[in-house]
Amino acid sequence: MSTRKASLTDKQAKNGTSKYVLERCASINEYYDIAFKVMLLGDSAVGKTCILVRFKDGAFLGGNFIATVGIDFRNKVVDVDNLKVKLQIWDTAGQERFRSVTHAYYRDAQALLLLYDITSKPSFDNIRAWLTEIKDYAQKDVVIMLLGNKSDMAAERVVKTEDGERLAKQYGVPFMETSAKTGVNVELAFLAVAKELKHRATQQPNEPKFKIHDYIESQKHRSGCCSLG
Amino acid sequence: MDGETGKATASWESGLLAPVDRLRLDRADSPTPGLVEGTEPGAGQKSAIFYHAQSYEDLTAEAEKEAQRASEPHGSEGHDGEEFSTLVGKKSTEERLNSDTSSESRGKEEDVSSEAWRSHKKHVFVLSEAGKPIYTRYGTEEALSSTMGVMMALVSFVEAEKNIIRSIHADGCKVVFLTKSPLVLVGVSKTGQSEKELLRELQYIYYQIVSLLTLTQLNHIFQHKQNYDLRRLLAGSEYLTDNLLRRLERDPGLLLSAVTCLPLASSARDVVSSSLQAAKAKNLVFSILLAGDRLVTLVRKKDQFLHHIDLHLVFNLVGSSSSFREGEGWTPICLPKFNTAGFFHAHISYLEPASELCLILVSTDREDFFNMSECKQRFMERLSKRSAYQAMKEALKCPNYSVAQVGIPELRHFLYKSKSSGLYTSPEFPEVYQSDEEQERLMGLYQDLHSCLHHPTRPLRSFYRCSEAENLLAWVTSGFELYLCFSPMSTKALAVSAVNKLLKWIRKEEDRLFILSPLTY
Repeated sequence: MSTRKASLTDKQAKNGTSKYVLERCASINEYYDIAFKVMLLGDSAVGKTCILVRFKDGAFLGGNFIATVGIDFRNKVVDVDNLKVKLQIWDTAGQERFRSVTHAYYRDAQALLLLYDITSKPSFDNIRAWLTEIKDYAQKDVVIMLLGNKSDMAAERVVKTEDGERLAKQYGVPFMETSAKTGVNVELAFLAVAKELKHRATQQPNEPKFKIHDYIESQKHRSGCCSLG
Repeated sequence: MDGETGKATASWESGLLAPVDRLRLDRADSPTPGLVEGTEPGAGQKSAIFYHAQSYEDLTAEAEKEAQRASEPHGSEGHDGEEFSTLVGKKSTEERLNSDTSSESRGKEEDVSSEAWRSHKKHVFVLSEAGKPIYTRYGTEEALSSTMGVMMALVSFVEAEKNIIRSIHADGCKVVFLTKSPLVLVGVSKTGQSEKELLRELQYIYYQIVSLLTLTQLNHIFQHKQNYDLRRLLAGSEYLTDNLLRRLERDPGLLLSAVTCLPLASSARDVVSSSLQAAKAKNLVFSILLAGDRLVTLVRKKDQFLHHIDLHLVFNLVGSSSSFREGEGWTPICLPKFNTAGFFHAHISYLEPASELCLILVSTDREDFFNMSECKQRFMERLSKRSAYQAMKEALKCPNYSVAQVGIPELRHFLYKSKSSGLYTSPEFPEVYQSDEEQERLMGLYQDLHSCLHHPTRPLRSFYRCSEAENLLAWVTSGFELYLCFSPMSTKALAVSAVNKLLKWIRKEEDRLFILSPLTY
């Protein structure tokens, strides 16, 4: 513990002090330097819980669909540029009857991962409604990322990759297709958000700005290569 | 069948059920210890956890009242209340269709479904007053929309005559109707259960739906849009109703209107309770610690009581959802017996990911998640410092006890409910009832006994029944309800003497088997 502290003070001395980094805490068994709240949103059964479980435990929840009840709160600590970033992740229920409880926690979130299912047109069509809700309830500077999930199910695809890209561009949010089943882009989605939030929190005036769009473009795996032409 | 009333009671009214020194003062003062409510083994010391009137009648009485209310405006003839307290009152319409028309009407249903669908023992349907399907236990609602339309037609037809349809008996099938505006619930059963039992189950399903939406919201929706498709709001919750129906078949707690506890030394339980008591917050109303389907402890706000039905709905929610396994859950929940108008918000989390111990903190405030999360942290910190946590984990390894501990060789299994505490105890199923079918068969026998003891017009106080596979004895006093299962070789005299011995044993073990000193914040 003492060595860890020492290294942190070193780092701070180098970086100068940032008001956020001071929020250094020890939970029961995990140390972290900085914590952010991330929320998963989207229609029922688009794979929010699956994405989370893939990211957190590296596993895929196959078999029957288990609806999330209310909201579910989990933590994961990730390394971002040698800093321990704790992501406090709200997994929400997609069902309408839980909307009011989800609304109550929107404003706590610093980042939102908005999911649709590439095999379900309605889930994609509802994205605009979700974005309107986000505008109404979330913080103004919230980081939003649009994810088209279930990219492994090519045969059942009904939403083209370009449609997702177009919509994302229109709203100025980063976009990628993910698969909780194969794990494609799942880690990247969370890490990109963590990086963006970390940069925002610790950025020095003369440091170049972190560009989440560019970062994602350079890192992401394209799944529907044929449709991209 | 051999039923008898009151006769058996005399033999044990004379003796104390436990050595005097073990009885608390007020218990010893009682002329018939154990037989009077509040002095029976398992009765709490101070106050009960639950509403006091937590009897089985509690559930069905409401439906009767409503039936009464509904028929009152048209009050065609003078009636006394007693008549109405019976389920199948004179005014209730009991439509007896002959088997011909019944098979014809069921034939239409078969078109949309298979033989297998029809052969299910118990169907449950929920529909709106506009006849729109809301829930079916088997099959899809869409496929059954015409069937449900027929059901609604039956309800309306009888209603038009200023009457209420209660049940239809046809060809070994009972069809029971429960109208709880804006919902209509229909049960179709081939089991031997009485109408009253079936109605009670429908009532549970009704409360399950209310707990998801609140009655206020239900009324609001249907006032604005009569033909609203409620499935939209209930999407993803069907499994809760499915599981509740399964529990109704298997869980003695739902039959007895009671809850069972994790057997735990009272010293350890008291430490756990006081740790929970200390982790309080402004809006916290109930702190409930569960071990699987067993209550470890329950701490409540002063003057606020939890109804056993509400607690069973919480058990059902927690037991049905694996999503609370990791992380912390936060969900709105209406506790309909507490208040049908509003939501509580429950913080649900397991003490450890692989543990059976689940903590439920019920708050009145939707925005209380972080406060509740902190309450849990405080509870955990307090608890982990005590040896009680270890004791609790040890107790979890054997959450049940063997009937052999009682020391009555012929006794195979029993259910004992302390009426004043609303808690029951029961040993694990013995070898002969290991299979699911056998367990369900035994539960069915208990259900039969239960409906005889609680018969609407001729309730029995005790009941001895011999059958090929087992002999059964049921006994109800103002203090407790007892159901015993003996080997078929045993005799009635033996059974009667076993009761005394069993009650003594329960008295001796009550510290461990029951929550005797419930706490409030």
